[in-house]
Amino acid sequence: MVDLGLKTLLHDKLRFAITTMGVAFAVTLVLVQIGLFVGLLDNSTITIRKIDADLWITSKNSPNLDFVHQFPESNVYRVRSLPGVERADNLILSFMQVALPTGAEETTIVYAMKDFEPWGIPWHLRGGQLDDLRRGNFVMFDESAEKRFGAFQVGDYREVNGRRLRIVGVTSEAKSFTTTPIAFMAYEKAQEIQPDLLSGKTSYIVVKLAPGADRELVRREIAQRLPYNDVYTSAEWAERSRDYWIENTGIGFNAFLTVFLGCLVGVVVVAQTLYASTMEHIKEFGTVKAIGGSNLDIYRMLAKQASIAAGFGFVLGYLPAQLLKPVVAQADLKLIIEPGFTILVALGTLGLCLCSALIAFRKVAGIDPALVFRS
Amino acid sequence: MFSVVAEEVTKVFREGREDVSVLKGASLTIAPGEIVSLEGPSGSGKTTFLSILGCLLSPTGGRVSIAGETLEAKRPAQLQSIRKRHIGFVFQQFNLFPALNALENVEYALNLKGVRGKQAHTEALALVERVGLADRARFLPRDLSGGQKQRVAIARALAAEPSVLLADEPTANLDINVAETILDLFVELAHRDRRALLIVTHDPKVRRVVDRTVRIEGGRIAA
Repeated sequence: MVDLGLKTLLHDKLRFAITTMGVAFAVTLVLVQIGLFVGLLDNSTITIRKIDADLWITSKNSPNLDFVHQFPESNVYRVRSLPGVERADNLILSFMQVALPTGAEETTIVYAMKDFEPWGIPWHLRGGQLDDLRRGNFVMFDESAEKRFGAFQVGDYREVNGRRLRIVGVTSEAKSFTTTPIAFMAYEKAQEIQPDLLSGKTSYIVVKLAPGADRELVRREIAQRLPYNDVYTSAEWAERSRDYWIENTGIGFNAFLTVFLGCLVGVVVVAQTLYASTMEHIKEFGTVKAIGGSNLDIYRMLAKQASIAAGFGFVLGYLPAQLLKPVVAQADLKLIIEPGFTILVALGTLGLCLCSALIAFRKVAGIDPALVFRS
Repeated sequence: MFSVVAEEVTKVFREGREDVSVLKGASLTIAPGEIVSLEGPSGSGKTTFLSILGCLLSPTGGRVSIAGETLEAKRPAQLQSIRKRHIGFVFQQFNLFPALNALENVEYALNLKGVRGKQAHTEALALVERVGLADRARFLPRDLSGGQKQRVAIARALAAEPSVLLADEPTANLDINVAETILDLFVELAHRDRRALLIVTHDPKVRRVVDRTVRIEGGRIAA
């Protein structure tokens, strides 16, 4: 069967290239912007997802992981005594100041626990032992801190809140939404360095349930015993933290706007080129009708052209988005393009290209058959 | 039985708030194998009449019958069906698809008429050979001369063996010698296959090959 739609599309290579490039640009824009957005949100909750806890106990109405209020550390005993709780520990999160060799100061978010080991953080450790943290004036920084703190290595010293600490390990992948570098230190050390804020206080209690324990039952019990705290599952707490950034920083609206603009660019380019192509070939469409074709034959042809533009455009847009990953990583950002989202964008591209063809459909439906006789 | 019957055909177009009457009772019959030329000044209704006989437009009034099937104005699908089965068009500007080569132009028309696959390819090849263009079958229209393009257009019009051929100024864009050859081909196609042929033309050369010339003026057939 002769494929007039495909042949016509490929016959005008420049127009086809412009159409597919327009779609590709829109696809790249959407994939990269949403990928960066997802990457940022991933940073905002990566520690929640990496800490092996079933429940998080927070101060009342804490908006997200980083913005915390302290509460009495003794609350942890009330949690530990509950049936169904296998382990419960205090976790301090606190902003501290790091004096740099240049004389400048930078902020760091300190994660402090008595024992990190059972909770699975930090999950990537380059050099040093976690146990070392408890043995003196020691600290570990995430490697992403180099961007702000300058180069450092195990054995170097840094002043944190005026206390000289030796770096005993370097972690990786521990990042925050605000890109403030993350540091790890012993629970008591954090309280010692920041006594006014942290003495006798904790930021969170993380809870690991015993095998077979009823999570909702334990959660209700904790809520009853700690009426001035909130209890979340890890997933709920991650979602709440993510939602805070989406709703309160404009990043969500920004992402929505980018996707909208990307789609608009794609639709406008495809619609414009398909419409222009239809107008240019209008006599040919009239001829199709004259030699026995129907409107449906022409709609199929236009739909096929739109689908081909969508297919080529998607592939040409997807590849640069993937190639940008290492470039983005060099800027200490994450570009996360998940398979589900990729499929969604592919289907969206197809759908939008077909919608773009509707204008051409309308034009074709109204073709004056007598135009085939005009010179 | 006539291949084409048009009785008191009227056509009124709505232009803005006004009704414009283009055909005011045009009548014409064409027998199988008969070649008729239709002449008339610009604005006389030639193209509208041709469009109605070619089932591209439905008449406002009167009766039109093609190959024994009467057009029903309220059934657009019937128009397409009759056009598909019984009509072949040849245009002044050839109207070939520029992205398809000569053979594909013909094969595509066969596809639209329901002939598919190898059969369509074989039939298209036979039609291209019949119009004397076997050696140009793989050429794109841009690489063909005017006469060759018109031959491809004729081969395309013959796809699926229509009983009526309608040609709109088929020699207008051709030089004299080529036009003569094309007209001879028309005569052969009409007489040998008993196919009704209506040629709308201003070209006096056409009169040499037609059985009858009719003139349309002011929306009516004059003679």
